Amino acid sequence: MDSVLSNACKLKLQNFEGPFDLLFHLIEKNKINIYDIPINEITGQYMDYLFAMREMDMEIASEFLVMASTLLHIKSRMLLPERKPEETDGEDPREQLIIRLLEYKKYKEFSRELKDRQEKWKKLFYKAAEFGEIEWDEVKFDLSSYNLSNIYAAILQRNELKTNKNTGKMSQIVQREKITIKSKIKEILNLLLKKSMLKFSEVFSLKRQSKTEVVTGFLAVLELAKAKKVSLEQRRHFSDIEIKALKK
Amino acid sequence: MDIREIETIIEAMLFAAGGPVSLEKISDILELDKKTCRSIADNMIVKFQESGRGITIREIGKGYQMCSKAECFDYVRKLFSIRQKQGLSQAAFETLAIIAYNQPVTRAKIEALRGVNSDSALSKLIDCSLVIEGGRMEAPGRPVLYKTTENFLRSFGYKTLSDLPSIEMFAARIDNGDKVG
Repeated sequence: MDSVLSNACKLKLQNFEGPFDLLFHLIEKNKINIYDIPINEITGQYMDYLFAMREMDMEIASEFLVMASTLLHIKSRMLLPERKPEETDGEDPREQLIIRLLEYKKYKEFSRELKDRQEKWKKLFYKAAEFGEIEWDEVKFDLSSYNLSNIYAAILQRNELKTNKNTGKMSQIVQREKITIKSKIKEILNLLLKKSMLKFSEVFSLKRQSKTEVVTGFLAVLELAKAKKVSLEQRRHFSDIEIKALKK
Repeated sequence: MDIREIETIIEAMLFAAGGPVSLEKISDILELDKKTCRSIADNMIVKFQESGRGITIREIGKGYQMCSKAECFDYVRKLFSIRQKQGLSQAAFETLAIIAYNQPVTRAKIEALRGVNSDSALSKLIDCSLVIEGGRMEAPGRPVLYKTTENFLRSFGYKTLSDLPSIEMFAARIDNGDKVG
C-alpha cells in the first residue's frame, strides 16, 4: 500500500455529495466487490480523504464523520476474535453498510440516467399554456357610414329620454329640515315663561311634528333637566312628562 | 366526423392550448369516447414523428402536448438569447431519483437513503418545478411528503411514472466496478 500522504495526493479532491458518494468512488476506483469490502483498506482510504479535506481547510459535513466512525466500528468488530456462535447473531458486521450502499447505488445509477435523459429531452421547445379563458365578442359590428349615423342618432335620442325636461324650471333643491337641540331648548324656555308647567305631549307630538323633531325635543328637555333649569316628573311608565320651570 | 377531421381538430386544439391537453378534455370536446380519442392521438404522434414536420406531439401525464423536434434544436435555439442557467447538481439528481421511485416520500427518507442532508437539493428541485409537496404523512410530526410533477415527466421524456424502469435494473448495473448494464 502507498503511504497515507501519496494516497491523499492521488485523490482528486472533488466534492463528494455525501459519505456514500465518497465510498462509492473508492469502491469503483479500487474495483472492489461491493459484497466483500476490504474494510481495512477502504477505511484507510476514507480517513485519508477526510484528512486531506481538513488540510485543504474544506468544511467536513458531520455525515462524513458519522460514516468514519461507522467504518472504524466495523473495522474494530472484524478485528475482534469471533465470539461463540450463541452470542453472535452470525451477522457480518459489514452487512448493514452493504445493504445501505446497494440501496444508494440504485438511485445513484438512476440519477446518472436522469442526467443523460435531461440532456436529450431539453432540446424540445414548448409553448406556454394559454389561460383557460378567451375574450369573445358575440356582437357583430357593421360599421358602414349609414349605420354609424343611425347609431349616433339613437344615442342622442336615448340621452334625451334620460334627461329630466323640468331641469331648467327647478329653482330650489329640497333640503333636509334642520332641527337643533339648541332651538328646541329656546322654544321650551319661551313657553315656560308663559306657563309654569308644560306637558310634553302639549309641546311635542308625532301627530303634529316629525319624528326627528319629537326626538330632538325630548333631548332638549333632558338637557334642560341636566342643567337644572327644569324639573321633570312622570307619574307612571309611558304617562305624560310634566315639565316645570325651576326658579333660581 | 371521419378520422381525418378529428385529427385536424385535435391538432388545432393542441396548437391553441400550448400546454398539455388532457385526454378527458379532448374526448369531452369532440364528444367521442376516450378510447377512440386515445388511439387517434397516439396514431397522430407516430404520424408527426415520421413526417417531415418540425413539430411533434408528446404524451405527458394524462394528456398531449405539442413541441418542436429535438433534431431542430441547433437551429431553433438561435432564435433565442441564451441565459446561462446553473444545471442541477449531482445531489439534486440523486434526490430526484429517490423521489421518483419512492413518492410520496418524506425528507427524512430521502436523507436516510442518500446518507446526507438534502435540503438545498430539494429546494432546488422545487424551484425548478420538478418536485412539489404532496400532502403530509399521517405520522408523528405530520412530515411533508414530496412527489414529482408533470414537468418532471416532460423534462426527462417519460409519459407516465409507470414508464420508469424497475429500480432493480440499476442494482445490477455495476459490479466489481465494471459497467455491465
